Amino acid sequence: MPPPVPRRGLRPYRLAGPSWCLPVVFFLAVFFVVPLAANLLRSAPAGEAGGVLFYYEKLLTDGYYVGILLETLKVALVATLASLVVGYPVAYFMVRHAGRWNGVIVFFVVVPLLTSIIMRTFGWRVLLSRRGLLNAGLLDWGLITRPTDIAETSIAVYIGLVHVLVPFMVLSISSVLQGVDVRLEETARVLGAGRLRTFLHVTLPLSVDGIVTGCILVFVVTNGSFLTMLLLGGGKINTLALLIYQQFVTTQDVGFAAAMGNVLMLVAALCFGMQYWLLRRTGIRR
Amino acid sequence: MTRARHRRRPGVPTILLYAYMALFLVFIVAPIAAVVAVSFSSSSYIVFPIPGFSWRWYWRIVEYRPFISSLIVSIELALGSALAGACLGVPAALSLARSRHAAAGLLSNLLLAPISVPAIVLGFALLYYLSALSFGITFLSLFIAHTVAAIPYIVRTVLATYRALSPNLEESAAILGATRWQTLRHVTLPLVRPGVFAGALFAVLTSLDNLPLSFFFGSANTNTLPVVMLSYMENQFDPSIAAISTVQMLIAIAALFILDRLYGIERLTAV
Repeated sequence: MPPPVPRRGLRPYRLAGPSWCLPVVFFLAVFFVVPLAANLLRSAPAGEAGGVLFYYEKLLTDGYYVGILLETLKVALVATLASLVVGYPVAYFMVRHAGRWNGVIVFFVVVPLLTSIIMRTFGWRVLLSRRGLLNAGLLDWGLITRPTDIAETSIAVYIGLVHVLVPFMVLSISSVLQGVDVRLEETARVLGAGRLRTFLHVTLPLSVDGIVTGCILVFVVTNGSFLTMLLLGGGKINTLALLIYQQFVTTQDVGFAAAMGNVLMLVAALCFGMQYWLLRRTGIRR
Repeated sequence: MTRARHRRRPGVPTILLYAYMALFLVFIVAPIAAVVAVSFSSSSYIVFPIPGFSWRWYWRIVEYRPFISSLIVSIELALGSALAGACLGVPAALSLARSRHAAAGLLSNLLLAPISVPAIVLGFALLYYLSALSFGITFLSLFIAHTVAAIPYIVRTVLATYRALSPNLEESAAILGATRWQTLRHVTLPLVRPGVFAGALFAVLTSLDNLPLSFFFGSANTNTLPVVMLSYMENQFDPSIAAISTVQMLIAIAALFILDRLYGIERLTAV
């Protein structure tokens, strides 16, 4: 550790030297980087017939697995767009209308994060099942004549996903909207723009940073999640993460599961790369 | 608030927005409220609305040993991994926040990376790796996995908190003769404490519900609460799952409220 020399001028005082990083770097190298690298090796069987990329070939050429890959991306895309549509007005409300109630709304927005995934899916099963509250209500109002089982469908999966993902979207967008000067909107209104026009040409473009951050976060999280699909989908939705879980529980095909995991990681890495690129290009990032 | 009073009557779009917010809050709360309601059901199968009020499912979770023992494992794991994550993450965050070296950006990306790796992939990779190192399926393996996951949450909030502080405070302490250790203990740590606690809270909450990471390390001694709940649900579908879920949520809410009393909820979400 270097002696504490008081520095003047441009360099600020530094309490913690570079050596303070060593323990965590060592820990993550041993228990994070190396295991993931080992996973890469595990997915590439050197000695076997079919070559090093055997599992990846299987994943990217077999119709069944290509279908699952595409379905994974589709589910993530739909869940992301749905969360955006559901969450944007909430973020807007929090920043522009909530005032002193903001703390209460923040609490309700993050409540799903305080509950376990089991609790949330359990709750949706109670509400959406054939004898659940939703069916009872719809029957009472005469909107439907026969109860339908909404649990165990893809709609239930999307409802469950949006419920848990929308907090990420709302918080990402509201933190950016907070920085947008309300006078810009007021100026547009004064200059004669209608509400919709003000929103589309002023508010929305200025909050695009939060939209990008929120969308990519939600997309990546959905790609990696499988419990909502497992507990609410009833086998209707098959995604890559769910397949990894099933491979582990049933067939124990370690190499193939490792290869699928690496594809998931690649998708996540591409998404974060895209986020970095997009936010640099828009130049709104501070 | 005075400005709002001077405004015109709220127009139709504003009223629609308020109505939408009400619907949204119902959407958020409905499944959670349904579970809490079912947990007080007197019926042994799940119907809603419940036929009568009873505490029997709370007694059931006290009697069913795996629930209680796995809850204890979960809490020990969550607190232990957050503490270990803080011990490893805080010094590094303090160092990286003020560094202008090119490697600092790269290093902070490494420390934040575990958040971006799907938990199921990390759990899978760690299980086979730690088994090869003959750690096997032990509490230690689980603890290592959850510590890896805790580090980014703590580093992220401490980086943000420490960057917002002026270095002059510590420099003053140093000029006034404080040693490096005294400056750390009496100036720096008290100032970054909200960031440490906010990050640790996120880490604890994530750990309590990190089923994708935990279920790989399942055994009688290492089953966490969500793992036990999942396997219970595969065999039985009764309201005791609702009761234990409610207990778990109350623990999380209590943690949030204690932290809110100490540091304020707005400061936690601001980071």
